[in-house]
Order: sequence, then C-alpha cells, then structure tokens
Amino acid sequence: MSENNEKKVHGIVAEYTSVDTLLDACRRVRDAGYEKTDAFTPFPVHGIDKALGIKPTVLPWIVLGAGLTGTVTALTMQIWMNAIDYPYIISGKPYISLPAFMPVAFELTVLFASFGAFFGMWALNGLPRFSNPIFTDPRFDRVTDDRFFLYIDAKDERFDRGGVEKLLGDTSTDYVQSVVDDDSSDKVPKPFFLVWGLIASFSIIPLLIVLKMRVTHSHQPRFHVFYDMDFSPAKDAQQYSTLFQDGRAMRPDVPGTVARGEMQENLDFLTGIDMNALSNIDPPRAERLVRTFNPLFQAESEADDKQPQAEKPKGDDVPGKETAAEEKAKPAETKPAETKPAETKPAETKPVETEPAKTEPVETEPVETEPAETKPAETKPAETKPAETKLTVMDTTPWLIKNPLELNESVLEVGRENFGIYCSVCHGLNGSGNGLVNQRAKKILAPNWIPPSSLHQETLYAGKYPDGKLFSTISNGIRKMPGYSGQIKTRDRWAIVAYVRALQMSQNASIDQIAEADREKILAEQAEIKKKLEEEAEAEKKAAEAKVAEAKAAEKKAAEAKEAEKKTQEAKKDPA
Amino acid sequence: MSQHSAPAIKPTDDPAFKLPASLAALRLPLCAGGLVALLLGWGFATQSIDANFGMSVYLTAVVYCMTLVLGCLFFVLIQHLVRAGWSTVVRRIAELVMIMVIPMGILFLPVLGSLWMGQGTLYGWDSPDAYQAEHHVPEQVWLEKLRWLNQEWFTIRTIGYFAVWSALAIFFFKNSVRQDETGEKAITDRMQYWSGPAVMLFSLTTSFAAFDWVMSLAPMWFSTMFGVYMFAGSILAAHCLIAVASFVLQKKGAMRDEVTVEHYHDLGKLIFGFVFFWTYISFSQYLLIWYANIPEETHWFYVRQVGTWGGIGLALIFLHWMLPFAGTMSRHVRRRPALVCGWGVYLLIMHYVDVYFMIMPETKAGNAGGAIGVCSSILCVAGMVSLLTGLVVGLAQQNKVVAVGDPRLAESIAFENI
Repeated sequence: MSENNEKKVHGIVAEYTSVDTLLDACRRVRDAGYEKTDAFTPFPVHGIDKALGIKPTVLPWIVLGAGLTGTVTALTMQIWMNAIDYPYIISGKPYISLPAFMPVAFELTVLFASFGAFFGMWALNGLPRFSNPIFTDPRFDRVTDDRFFLYIDAKDERFDRGGVEKLLGDTSTDYVQSVVDDDSSDKVPKPFFLVWGLIASFSIIPLLIVLKMRVTHSHQPRFHVFYDMDFSPAKDAQQYSTLFQDGRAMRPDVPGTVARGEMQENLDFLTGIDMNALSNIDPPRAERLVRTFNPLFQAESEADDKQPQAEKPKGDDVPGKETAAEEKAKPAETKPAETKPAETKPAETKPVETEPAKTEPVETEPVETEPAETKPAETKPAETKPAETKLTVMDTTPWLIKNPLELNESVLEVGRENFGIYCSVCHGLNGSGNGLVNQRAKKILAPNWIPPSSLHQETLYAGKYPDGKLFSTISNGIRKMPGYSGQIKTRDRWAIVAYVRALQMSQNASIDQIAEADREKILAEQAEIKKKLEEEAEAEKKAAEAKVAEAKAAEKKAAEAKEAEKKTQEAKKDPA
Repeated sequence: MSQHSAPAIKPTDDPAFKLPASLAALRLPLCAGGLVALLLGWGFATQSIDANFGMSVYLTAVVYCMTLVLGCLFFVLIQHLVRAGWSTVVRRIAELVMIMVIPMGILFLPVLGSLWMGQGTLYGWDSPDAYQAEHHVPEQVWLEKLRWLNQEWFTIRTIGYFAVWSALAIFFFKNSVRQDETGEKAITDRMQYWSGPAVMLFSLTTSFAAFDWVMSLAPMWFSTMFGVYMFAGSILAAHCLIAVASFVLQKKGAMRDEVTVEHYHDLGKLIFGFVFFWTYISFSQYLLIWYANIPEETHWFYVRQVGTWGGIGLALIFLHWMLPFAGTMSRHVRRRPALVCGWGVYLLIMHYVDVYFMIMPETKAGNAGGAIGVCSSILCVAGMVSLLTGLVVGLAQQNKVVAVGDPRLAESIAFENI
C-alpha cells in the first residue's frame, strides 16, 4: 500500500463474483452520485445501464447525421458533376435525373452512416487507447472469465479515495483495490521502429516506379491493366466492322422502318414535289420516289434495286439529287451500296476535275454557278457526269410552289435557328455566301474550294426557284453542298426554306413592305446610317486627298533635293 | 434481480393463453359481415363498371389476403429455420393466420372460374387472340406466351401452389398445436429440420404465383424481380399484422405478461427493416427498367406514371417508404407498443394501396373506375379481411393463442434487447 501511495491513482476497482452482487453495487454507487463509473463483465448483462445510471448514447444521432450527410453529399456531387460542372447527357436522361442518382445516394448514405457508427463509437469510448492502467491488476484478468468488476474513476467530482474505498467495501465484495500507473517502461520498443521503417520504405517503391515511368521513355508497348477498358470492342462512328456483311459498324435503318416521329405519309411534304403532277409527266421517277420514301415499299424493292440504278443516267434535270436520297434509303443493299457512292456522288470526289471541265459560259462566273441550277445544261459540268453535260433539258419537275407549312413566327424562328446551325457556316448569317468556312478557305487559299453561293440572286428568288426545289436542294445537296436530310428533320427543313425566303426579302425590301408604325423609325435609322456612311466616305476621301497631297509634297521635296544635289555636284565639278 | 431469475411460466390452461371472450364473440358477425361486404363490393364493381373491373377488385382482395397469409407462413418458417427464441410468444398468431391458406384456396375459385367460364374477364391472355389483336403482338411471340399462359397449365400450377402451401401450413400448425399438449422437444426439432426445404419450396411457389396471378395481367410484360417485390410487401405486412394482433389481444386481456416491450421492439425493428427492403426491391425493379428504357418493359411503369396512377405511385414513395421509414427509425417509437401497433395499421393500409397499384391499372376501365371503383375495392378487401379474421377467431377459440408447449417459451418471455 505504501508503495502505491507514491504513484498516481487513476481510480478504484472492486471485484464481484455474481451478476446480482455487481448490479446491487452498481445501484449503490449510482445512488451515491458517482458518474464516471464503469462495470466490466465477461458477458453482456441486461439492465446494467440502468443500474449504473448510464444515459442513453447519442450514437444514433451521430449515425443519422452522418447518413444524411452521405445522402446530401452523393446528390450534390452527382448534380454538380453531371448537370453543372460538365453537363453530359447519359442514356438520353435529363442532366438531373434522380432515379439514376439513387444507387450512389443509397451507397454513400450507408457508407457514411457506417463510418459515423464506427468512428462515433471510437470517439465516445475514447479510443484508440493502447493501454489502460486497470490492466496492471493481475486479478482483473479474470474479467473475461468468471469475475465482475466495478470501477470508479478518480476524475469523478465526488471522488475521495477513502470514501470510495469505504463505499465499495460495504458492498458484497472482498477485494477493493486502487488502480495505479503501470510500472513498465512507456518507451516504444525499438523493433517497432525498425519494422515500421521497413514497411514505410517498401511502400514507397511502387510510388517511385510510377514516378520513374512518368519521366522516362520506354520502347516497350504500354502495359494494360484492364485490356478491355483500353480497347473496348465497341465501335465508333464510321468505323469498319467485320461483324456485319456490309462492313459497316454503324447500322443503317432497317428496311421498312421509319424512325420514331418521322413517319410522314405525305410524299409532297417529303420530296418538295407535287407527286400527282409528277406521276403524269414522269411515272418512273414518281415510282422511284414512292419506293424511296414509303417504307412499306422498301422491303419489296430490295429485289429490284439495280433497276432504278440503271435508270439513273436517264434522270431528267437533277439526277444526282433524288438518286442520292434513294441510296440512303436503301441500306439493306450490301454490294450495290458500296459501289454506288463512287458512281453517283462524284460531285464530292471530283471537285478538282470539274474545273478544267468547265465550259466557257460557266467559267465566266464560277462563284455564281449555283443559281445556274435552273439552267441544267450549265450546271452539269459542276454536277459531275460528263455525259450529262450534253443534256439540255429544262427542269420540268413540278416543284411545290408554296411552302406546305403554315407560316408563322414560330416556324420562322425554327428556320432561323436551324439556318444558324447548319447553313450559316458557309452561306453566312445574312445568306451572302461569306460564312466563316468560306472566309477561312479564302484566307488559307484552299485550292479545291468552291465558294458557296449567295442566296440573294434573281435566279434563287421565289419566282424562279420554287420552294419545293429549295427544299430538295437542302435535303439532297447540290454540287459540293451535301444533303441535310439525315441531320435536319423534314419539318425543320421546310422552316429553313421559309426563313431563306424571309432573308431574301429582307435584303431587297422596300419601305412600303414595312408596317407603317415602324417606317419612321427605320427611315430615321437609315438616314443616320447613310449620314454616317457619307461622313466616313468624306473622311476617307479627305484622307486620300491628304495622302495625295502629301505624296505630291514628298515628290516635290525629293525633286528639290535631287536638284539641290545636282547643283552641289555640279558645284563640286565646277571647281574641279 | 428478478430480471435474471428464470421467468415463471403460467400453467398451460391459464386464461392468459386463451382467446378473450370479447373477441370470441365477434366470430359470427365478422364472418357474416365480411362475406356480405365482399360480395357487395364485388357485385357493386361489376354492376356499376364492368365484369373485368369486378374481377380485378376481387383479385385485389384475394392477393391482399394471400400476401398476409403467406407472409405469416414465411414468418413461422424463418423462425424455425434460424431457431429463433424471441418470437415464440407471438408465433402462434402467425400460425393461426397461415392456416387460412385453406379457405383462401376456396376464395380463389372465382378467379379460376373466370378463366374457364368467362374468358377475357380478368386475364387478357385467356380469351383467344383478343389481347394479341388489341396489342399487335406478333403471332410467334404470342404462341410462345400461350405455352405457359393457358387455362389448363395455369389451373394445374395454382392447384400446385395451394397444395404446397396447405401442406406446409398444416404440418407446422398441427405439430405446434400437438406440442401444446405434450411439450415434446422432438416436435421442435422436427419442425426445424423441415423448415429448410420448406423455405425453398415457399420461395419458388410464391414467386411463380406472383408471376401467374398478378404479373400475367399484363401478359407481355415481365420482371424477374416481381416475385420478390410481392414477397417484400407480404413479409412487411405479416410483421405489421402480428404486431397489431398482439396489441389487440393484450388490450383484451390475453398474454399480458408474456409479450413485452422487447417483443414490440423486435417487431418494430423488423418492420423498419422490411419497409426499406420493400423500397429497395421496388426501386431496383423500377430503376433497371427505367434506365434501359426498352418499350416492352417500360409500358407497365408508363401507365403507372401518368395521371392518377402517377399520383398514387408518388404517394407510395412518400407514404409507403419515407414516412414509415422515418417514423419507425427511433428506438423510442419501437419501444412503445401503441405506436408500433399504430404504424402496423398504417402500413397494412399502405400495403393495400401497393396491391391496388399492382393490379388495378391493368383494368380496362380508365382512372381506376373513379370513386365508385375505389370504394367497391375497399369494401371488397375489407370484407375478405373481415371474413378471414372471423375464421381466425374461430380457430383461435379452439386453440391457445400462445405456443405454450414450446421449449423456448421461457427464453422468449425473458427476452431482452441489449
């Protein structure tokens, strides 16, 4: 005992031999007002919390808080990543699509709640604690076997060594002992540092290897941890695949099917041609168009696919157009599809050749060959097939004169939007034919570049170039311009036609065509701009004059200088 | 100190183990009233809407009661399988309910009758080609479907399910009742021995029954999760039913010392867990179909996502999951028998909404037949539940309400949560 007095006392422990005596002692200690107490038993004892006066734990609240934090973290993270920081459409779902976020939210909730429970328990129990002074008592070892212990900590406010010893002594125990500091050294054993050092140095090795790889070069091929993640068997657009007979990785539409929402029974609407009239003038072509656009015929027409191809050269005015469309619509063909493009779409492959082939009249204004569309004979060279240059048939196709859409502001708005996306890059936002692509091509002096045509030409106005024909041009392309039927919906192509008409009108509008209310304003604006332009012109003129004057003055000066020089030279000569 | 001394078990003929007289008196009124309400609801729906709606209302009642009965059967099996000690005091309640699978077999007859006598009344696939033509199902696909879904094979399967369940229910009920007299430990051993194969048989039959009886209402739709989905609702409802029945019995004076706060606490924990299990399963079923977005899989959910059904579907998320999930989360709620009973009643009602949501959107009458449709369905279900309650009361009168002969009874009474 005297020895113990010198050491720090952590608390006092008492030993019991049964649950009942322990619980009885617990109640006494609780009633005496001690709070920093603990009981040690070999197995869980029901009711000991109550006997010791232990308050219900706050751990559930920690777990709930952690779980909710997990839910909020998961949702915030996913919404931030997928909808704000890097908006990305996955599987056609909205950016913020809650069902897709649920699995992660669920998992993070569980993870955070588990962490909350685990680490919360540690924190509440004051863990990790490597050593407890109570272990110094050899009798305490039996706590895992057949003995029960009650402990009162010295940190308790009411702790008083004598008092506690007496209180515990009064309970049915025959062993009350002070818990004192451990005698053994508190130094960490040396081998521990050795092992720790070894593990630490070995664990750096992988990191060093990675670092070395980052800064050195190797001739070995890359090491693939997950081969199929680096080389996915999935195909990208336009790639080749041996899986399908036609070698295409992208699958064309199945014959006899139409994409959702694209079923259109009105062929006039799809082709821009008055089909009734066409069937009277040119039945084979009408039939071909019907076969192309009506999916019900596609499957059966597969068999006689080659026939329409044979007919093609006979095509009247714009043979490249419908046939190209027909090809697209006949994906089921295998071999013909591969060979045909070469035959039928030389416009794309032979731009260089067309130039030397140009005949005189065309050559005069190469930029404006496009409007010549109405004069088929002239366009043929550009159109590719040398044989067709001889044809001089006029365009007899009964194009739709009027746009079948009901025109209103929203249609024009759709047209404006689509024009801005698809057309303006070449034709320019105002349709003058000087889009960004054209500007760039001119800047780099692209040798094969055929400048896009201006949409503001007599030959392209509604009177000469029917709406249906314009629609067909947009759909199937012309010369270097590709067809857009695959990219722009039918309705939207008609909307573009409407917008082009508005654009054309806007560039040639007279003041009478404008609502009276707006006229004054526009006139004022116009006057202002005119004035500005005049001023600019004036300024330019003045500047030019000034330049001329300057130049003259400089000339004069130079002449005078020359004269002077001459004189000096002469003067030099003279004395000589 | 008394907590750790062995609890005193009352003699087996103690009134605490008997059905209180006030409940026993309800037997006839419950049966008669239930039968009347059942027929009224059914007839009302048939008269005011159509035969298809009437049959669907009846099927809703059948499926609702079947899920309760099968949930209780599973409860008994799983307690034996895991050799549970805590549940012995409430197990008899589940045993009394599970034996109702026999009257349910009779109550199922009208559904079979609709297959043989009124083709096309309930299931679309039983009337030759009507469904196929209506939904443009390709010939070959339809013929393949019909190999599984045809009157003969469906009837054989249904008889098979009832045979399996009846055999299981009778075996476990009879043994348990015999133990009341003898108290043999060997009987418990035998029941534990057979509980393993019984659970396997049970899971297969319930899954297939869910496919046949409910999923085939939309013959072209399929979800391998559907059986589990039905089971999740079923086992949740069974726990709720046991908690509610225990509470009512205790209020009326039976087993007051035997069922304690600890048992309600455990039932509450299981209810809490199964609320989330139901959510997990039904959401998993939804998520995969929603994400893949394949037309033949989505239409079942599509009709349940628009209009009134969309509202009910959302209500299920909030009222069948979130509200009871938050409500039964706390230990303080679970340790109050009245609150556990209250949540039990609430979830039994929500389970009805869930079953209604599974079956009724497949009727031909749009919008669930409006208020008339809903009222007739509620009447029908309440009637069938009441009828079965009457039968359970009658059976309980002849037996004890606690498995008094079970060797684990003392353990169960002394059970304490840590």
